[in-house]
Amino acid sequence: MTESYFDWTSKLFDRSRVFDKPEALRGIRVLELTTLVLGPTTADFLGEFGAEVIKVELPPGGDTMRYVTPEATFWKNASLGFMPENHSKYHIGIDLHTEAGKDLFRQLTARSDVLVENFRAGTLDRWGIGYRRLSHINPRLIYVADSGFGQWGPFSLGRASYDAVAQTVSGMIGITGFPGRPPILCGIFIGDWFGGLMAATAALVALHHRAKTGEGQFIDLAQSEGLIRSLDWTWIRHGLTGQEREPVGNQDEALVPAGLFACRDGFAGIAAPRDNEFQGLCAAMGEPDLAADPRFATLPARQQPANAQTLYERIGNWAASKTRAEIEALAEEHGFAAAPVVNAADRYNDAHLRTRGTVWEYEDPLYGPMVEHGPAPKLSATPGRIRWSAKPVGWHNMEIMVRLLGLSPARIRDLEAQKVIGRWAARPGPCPPEGWSPG
Amino acid sequence: MSTPETPWPEYARALTDPARAPEKPEALGDLRVLDCSQGNFAALFCSSILAEFGGEVIRMEPPGGDVARLFSPRGFLHRGTGLAYLVEARNKRHITLNLDTERGRDLFARLARHMDVIIESARPGQMDARGIGYRQLSEALPRLIYAAFSARGQFGPRASTPIPDYDVTAQALSGVPYTTGEPADEGLPGSSVPTKQGNWVAWYVGGGWGAFAVMAAVVWRWASGRGQFIDCAPAEGEMRFTDCDIPWYHASRRVRERVGALNICVFPYTLIRSKDSYSFIAGFSDINWAGLTNIVGRRDLAERFPTTKHRIQHAKALHAELEAWAAEFTSQDILDKVQDYLVNKRGPGTVATARLNRPAETLAESHWWERGVFQKVEDPDYGELLLQGPPWKMSHTPPRIKWACRPVGADNEDIYLKYLGLGREDLRALAAEEVV
Repeated sequence: MTESYFDWTSKLFDRSRVFDKPEALRGIRVLELTTLVLGPTTADFLGEFGAEVIKVELPPGGDTMRYVTPEATFWKNASLGFMPENHSKYHIGIDLHTEAGKDLFRQLTARSDVLVENFRAGTLDRWGIGYRRLSHINPRLIYVADSGFGQWGPFSLGRASYDAVAQTVSGMIGITGFPGRPPILCGIFIGDWFGGLMAATAALVALHHRAKTGEGQFIDLAQSEGLIRSLDWTWIRHGLTGQEREPVGNQDEALVPAGLFACRDGFAGIAAPRDNEFQGLCAAMGEPDLAADPRFATLPARQQPANAQTLYERIGNWAASKTRAEIEALAEEHGFAAAPVVNAADRYNDAHLRTRGTVWEYEDPLYGPMVEHGPAPKLSATPGRIRWSAKPVGWHNMEIMVRLLGLSPARIRDLEAQKVIGRWAARPGPCPPEGWSPG
Repeated sequence: MSTPETPWPEYARALTDPARAPEKPEALGDLRVLDCSQGNFAALFCSSILAEFGGEVIRMEPPGGDVARLFSPRGFLHRGTGLAYLVEARNKRHITLNLDTERGRDLFARLARHMDVIIESARPGQMDARGIGYRQLSEALPRLIYAAFSARGQFGPRASTPIPDYDVTAQALSGVPYTTGEPADEGLPGSSVPTKQGNWVAWYVGGGWGAFAVMAAVVWRWASGRGQFIDCAPAEGEMRFTDCDIPWYHASRRVRERVGALNICVFPYTLIRSKDSYSFIAGFSDINWAGLTNIVGRRDLAERFPTTKHRIQHAKALHAELEAWAAEFTSQDILDKVQDYLVNKRGPGTVATARLNRPAETLAESHWWERGVFQKVEDPDYGELLLQGPPWKMSHTPPRIKWACRPVGADNEDIYLKYLGLGREDLRALAAEEVV
């Protein structure tokens, strides 16, 4: 009758047609005054789906993340740590310590739909460019204040935060890793990225409300509170039983079995909590009788700690004799879940991820061929996209000042001379690659 | 500007205090969501977010209940339902429907007509094969937004895999455990391995992306009048968060490896042992490092290790120096010293620190309770439950928890009457046929 499902989806989501489709957030302008990761990701996610993002930095040094790059080594004078959260943005440099700079910022806010900032609570209010002031200039403005501890409450006063502060205070580190070992950090800035996603989602919710009422609003997002939200059953169990959640390494206590296991050639995740999946796993292990053993036959039985422990040991022994690919093939055959623990090279070279645009190739006018992670969810009618890479501090000063604010070239030169607006410092991080020349 | 202004924290609290949420409207009061996912907390968190913002979320379970109700530590059930489910059932109506029957599929298609959003987590192609996937439903319902969660996505060479989506396999595929944990040549063999996060982080990230995508689609529907199909793989959601892994590999063919409590880009951004616990401590830019060495009373370290490059090259030695200092102080002492330096502006630079909390210690801090991050919810069916609240404070349309959960099928009568005009007799007949 009709074409097969996967033929249909491959056309529906065809990566090569992304630029022929509209963008969900077309016409939404996001003004960003942020540094590091939490604030920039908030704006970046909106930008991936079509918002025009204007990133304001303090010249000439700009965002601190311009100096956070692996082994402190720059690439083409740019920080690799700065790129994943700064795509397709317009970069302008304004010194907000000057009155004229604040005035420019207010004018930009008057023409924007969303403002994202991540200063310590109350800083922009003190500078006269906080919500209290800006909401009068633009009542439709959606003001997103990202922070570590929120805009009010005992911990909000003057306290600095980073991703790992959120990991630390939220309890996330406390429930991660192996019992009796020193605590470890999550390998990624999870508190920042997750907080950015939560903040961007709230901005979209606020846009929906604005479409109905015309009202903007203020959003207070604390990254620590984002991670607390994500700690699944930790809190409810404490409330009902008083039991503290301890780290249990690579095994799951609620989904049994589910965990990471050492294999012959690396590590793999294996999960088979549903009874039919568990039967499949036992068959794959060559131990079909295990599935009928009353200690393991049902999920509630497997969840009992002693039974779970026995089971995890047996799965571990089995997995150690297999390669990751063998386990994955057995999972496909027998109907349980398995996946290799992959690294950057595995993902970079993965044809599936390339086809999906999850690993996204493009050519940047300044940096040449680029490969990064593309937008995460795939939208059939309004797919997300990367247009260009992060740019040096103040790269788009002229364009934004002329197009958006209607300033004359003479006025712009004036503002440059007064150091109200500015561009990059001549050092790696904020500056363009070697050999770059204007025009 | 001449009138004296309320201090910022008071102003901000008056603006967003979640205690006042009931007085304010809900942003998504006009959004109807049908979540028929099974055993998938990415999908459940996605619909939780929409429900917290006021969407009418209908959870559709198979007649025996969703297996997700059994995902609970040590098999702990509270009034018949597992703990994880009780956290992600907030504000949702609960109905049952058997999609393995033709009558059930017919009812599903009829319910779909009244929905703005459908959320599912079936194996890719399964809903389509049953005649109730996006391809079929969207023909009559061009405004429908349809979000599907799966392990590898709905298209691409690996999409047709029968492997289901679970948190730990999604974490594995994201690449995050590869860079998390103690390095192979340190610590103990059993624990110096790629390490997963203790919580279901990939599922929560995946669900967050789902809600983000649904809202982007809702915003676009205002302009276009059209819905769309959202393909969400939690592994790809978490992959998007992997810092500079891919750009670094692209630039230099280097693969990021595990560094325990260190960071490959900067130092210090690390955990140090204190007298009574551990503390996270950061002061990695040059000026902040100057601030930290002032607090520690070791300006010599700022002089000897003036740049990030110096500091990461000697990260282990510097880590030991910081631990030697911290050994004499509790984590609270360290926080007090840092705050004294910052608040009283005793020198340049900003330093961030925090005591490593056990969950019970986080629960004991008043900050989170004041801010509604933790709430005791009095639920009519499940009694008093301690739940983590929505993470946002919003001035005009604050999110909120209205109830925690409903028993399996508890809203069948209401929902089937409201949307399909089915009365009790109809439901009895459907129950006899094992449809509801």
